[in-house]
Amino acid sequence: MAEVKILTEHYHDDNYRTVDGYLAKNGYEMLKKALKMQPTEIITLVKDAGLRGRGGAGFPTGMKWSFLPNNGEERYLLCNADEGEPCTFKDRMMMERAPHQLIEGMIISAFAVQSKKSYIYIRGEYFYAADVLRKAIKEAYDKGFLGKNILGSGFSHDLDVYCGAGAYICGEETGMISSLEGLKGQPKLKPPFPAVKGYLAKPTVVNNVETLASVIYILRDGVQEYRKNGTEKSPGTKLFSVSGDVMKPGNYEVPLGYPLKDLIEKECGGLKPGRKLKAVIPGGTSAPVLTAEEAYKATMDYECLANMKSMLGSGAITIIDDTRCMVDLLGVITHFYHHESCGQCTPCREGTGWLNKIVRSIHAGNATVNDIDTLCKVADNMKGRTICALSDAAALPVLSFVPKFRSEFEYYIREGKSQVRGISYAQMHH
Amino acid sequence: MLKCTINGKHVEVKEGTTVIQAFKMLGEEIAHYCWHPALSVAGVCRLCMVEIEGNPRLQIACNTAVTEGMVVTNKSEKVKDAVKWGLDFHLINHPLDCPICDQAGECGLQDQYMKFGKYDPEMAEKKVNKHKAVDLGERVVLDSERCILCSRCVRFTEEISKTNELGIFNRGDRSEIGTFEDKPMTDKYSVNTVDICPVGALTSKDFRFKQRVWFLKDRPSVCPGCSTGCNVDVYYNREGFWRVKPRYNPNVNDYWMCDEGRDTYKYQNKFDTVVVGHRGEKEVMKNVNRVINPMHITGGHAEMMDVQFLLQKISEKLGASKPADVALVVTGQSTNEELSAIVSFFASKFDKKNIYHWQNEPEKWNEFDGLLMRGDKNPNTKGLLKVLEQNGVQAQLWKPSLTAGKLTIVVAPENHSAYKDFSAMVKWAGSGQSTIWLGPGLHEDMGMQGEWWVIPGKTTFEKKGSFENFNGHVQSFEPVTTVIDAAVSADEFVTLLKGANFLEIHKIYRNPVERVENQFIFERGEM
Ligand SMILES: Cc1cc2nc3c(=O)[nH]c(=O)nc-3n(C[C@H](O)[C@H](O)[C@H](O)COP(=O)(O)O)c2cc1C
Ligand code: SF4
Ligand code: SF4
Ligand code: SF4
Ligand code: FES
Repeated sequence: MAEVKILTEHYHDDNYRTVDGYLAKNGYEMLKKALKMQPTEIITLVKDAGLRGRGGAGFPTGMKWSFLPNNGEERYLLCNADEGEPCTFKDRMMMERAPHQLIEGMIISAFAVQSKKSYIYIRGEYFYAADVLRKAIKEAYDKGFLGKNILGSGFSHDLDVYCGAGAYICGEETGMISSLEGLKGQPKLKPPFPAVKGYLAKPTVVNNVETLASVIYILRDGVQEYRKNGTEKSPGTKLFSVSGDVMKPGNYEVPLGYPLKDLIEKECGGLKPGRKLKAVIPGGTSAPVLTAEEAYKATMDYECLANMKSMLGSGAITIIDDTRCMVDLLGVITHFYHHESCGQCTPCREGTGWLNKIVRSIHAGNATVNDIDTLCKVADNMKGRTICALSDAAALPVLSFVPKFRSEFEYYIREGKSQVRGISYAQMHH
Repeated sequence: MLKCTINGKHVEVKEGTTVIQAFKMLGEEIAHYCWHPALSVAGVCRLCMVEIEGNPRLQIACNTAVTEGMVVTNKSEKVKDAVKWGLDFHLINHPLDCPICDQAGECGLQDQYMKFGKYDPEMAEKKVNKHKAVDLGERVVLDSERCILCSRCVRFTEEISKTNELGIFNRGDRSEIGTFEDKPMTDKYSVNTVDICPVGALTSKDFRFKQRVWFLKDRPSVCPGCSTGCNVDVYYNREGFWRVKPRYNPNVNDYWMCDEGRDTYKYQNKFDTVVVGHRGEKEVMKNVNRVINPMHITGGHAEMMDVQFLLQKISEKLGASKPADVALVVTGQSTNEELSAIVSFFASKFDKKNIYHWQNEPEKWNEFDGLLMRGDKNPNTKGLLKVLEQNGVQAQLWKPSLTAGKLTIVVAPENHSAYKDFSAMVKWAGSGQSTIWLGPGLHEDMGMQGEWWVIPGKTTFEKKGSFENFNGHVQSFEPVTTVIDAAVSADEFVTLLKGANFLEIHKIYRNPVERVENQFIFERGEM
């Protein structure tokens, strides 16, 4: 097996980001097709194709779309381009290289859910991507793909880009909605769910960049052809952002169900010379870490990783070789979640800080072996008790790093230095 | 109606009822901080965990609607463990300096810990430091380290007082309550945030560090501050009153009262500052607020008198007066019982035309701020008008320009600051030949001119009686405690004039009422 370029087929083409370059590669053809279909037909197609959300949770997209109540209320489509999950950088590439692909995917999706207005919520640091998108949107308006009565179909749609300020929590869909509404970026209590009461308390669909772009190819290829890639429960291709200790890190599009071992060794050129694989974080830092043995057995699909008690998440794969100290790495992760918790829910607000402090105590040589248990107990009690999944996302790395690499933690506490690096935290970080 | 089972008890609830409301209906205990019956659901403290049959995940009771046949418990080990941890997360960065915290004794953390916690702390790390003693304005002080970020205060200013003055700034465990650009709060209802704050994060400037709450007792009464008549609890000890807090009444004031109303205890105390002790070298002076003894004043010279003796003299004086020579001044600050006694007594003996209604800024009487505060700063204007009507009296409006007659009985209002023309009244009364003055408060000009018969009056919190509020709601109340032993109400005054014995009709209220745990937050504030 190898890379299968469906979304990324033309990404090498510099012109692809302009409307002419995109049109030259049959761009906006599927929009024309879609506008001649019934909206519900498109939803059924997406359902049958089994497209699952690429933002993290893997929720079936067609099903999400059909949750919208038929109450005549205005509907909103929001594209989640916040891409906050550490180690994820696929949406950025998609927006920078193929803005029209996202725009086309969004107009089709908006038509399917009958939304007149959509926003791309893009993280603040992505100013280049935001720029590219803005230009592309203008081009799309000029060509009549956006605005009133698109291509004479009677369907009108407006699209805008909204820049966040670089908060991870604004990637959580209701946090994003709050931010878009001009409120503090804090998730909202559910129920009600966004499909019923979302942006401005109107029915709202939130989808990831990749999810929305994928819709085009389901329309183009049809259900059967689309399902040729991937597995029964995880159809299609997916972009993986591979980073860390491989020779060729980067974004790779492979069918879901692709063996992780092949991805590391074939696509990414293997590990650096003389290094051994120690661990892999398969879905962004929120996903529980896999040991090397697990990683070599894993296939990149929702089911396999769930069976391994991890998750596909955002598709960010972090390769960790034997020169890395897991105690050090966990500190980076706990720091991140401590910094990013919005602070509403007590277990998350206090727990993320507590976790980080315990790991820091280990780094500083102030911890006792009991602290390892406290660490796990705290993490365990942060799970499933909060408004959004950030609390779980902070707990899961701890609950996988510690049991799977416990000896490294014990060594660190006993000796006051890293087992792998042989030096203390202070020496490691000057 | 939906049937559900809560901790094994069956209950029927209305559609839309939340699980926490069902718990409350049954009187089942449930831990919670952020939920408040009068505020929107925040769902942030995560303490109200319950186990619902058929759902593997614990749910929060405050944001879960009851469904038909739902079976809920919070007695399972799973829930107990979750609540224990929920409390622990609240406590890890909490200063836990209860001995120097003003909330101790009525603190949600203390209470819930005693009910649901009781474990050894596991937190060994350094606590987060935040701002201490932040001045939030005229009446409220914030200690951010004690704050558990339940957002009740924020929701109060958003949803009830609608000033939107409070917000949560920063995020994660750096979050702190504050006002925009640190502007002082101007909210006229700000102290309600102190009431609903489950911990010692928000404290009242007026009350903080003055008393330990377990040394205070409280009794219900009605706020005399305006014609709304908010239901209140008055906290007192042997020295007098210390604070006033709202008592829940869905027909009048819900859970709230205004800040001004909270000051009404001050003029009812013997001294207006009951600060005992020293500041540096100096002792803080107490200012006398109240008339303490019955007196007869002539030519600026006061003679203390036994109340029975004084009354005998007054009785003789009234008996010797011609009906047309006696006048009566009344206000809407007296109770129905007082007014009815004094007006009918007067009407039966003297000329009804000589009854004056003393009004304070009547042009403002119809003002209303949309929540509770009304322009009529008398708690019983409606009652007064009714009493006058019942006695067939067409009262004249009192004006300082009128000439005072031979003998005037003034039933003075207790809240002097609400009466801009109080001095004018005192001068006017003094310009006549003789004044019988029944009122609780002292005024510097009293007795400067003319002859005065001064009888210490009772204040609302000392009285038994009733007020009729702006919309005809009659509210009775009992005495909270007695501050001035010699004080009498106007109805007692009439009974005494009719020949009763002071010692027989006069009761002193000081029976202590034991307070059971944290009533305010858990029952009245409906935590
Ligand atoms: C803390 C947190 C952060 C998230 N960040 C992102 C993000 O940056 N981008 C994204 O697409 N989804 C993110 N999600 C997932 C979204 O909540 C949501 O599930 C997703 O956007 C739905 O789109 P999809 O169905 O197309 O995947 C995040 C979720 C959580 C709990
Ligand atoms: S879980 Fe954490 S990030 Fe999510 S809403 Fe609660 S406090 Fe905010
Ligand atoms: S100050 Fe009090 S009421 Fe306000 S959020 Fe903090 S604990 Fe809650
Ligand atoms: S609104 Fe009126 S009755 Fe209520 S507390 Fe204020 S002054 Fe007292
Ligand atoms: S989460 Fe339910 S009371 Fe706080």
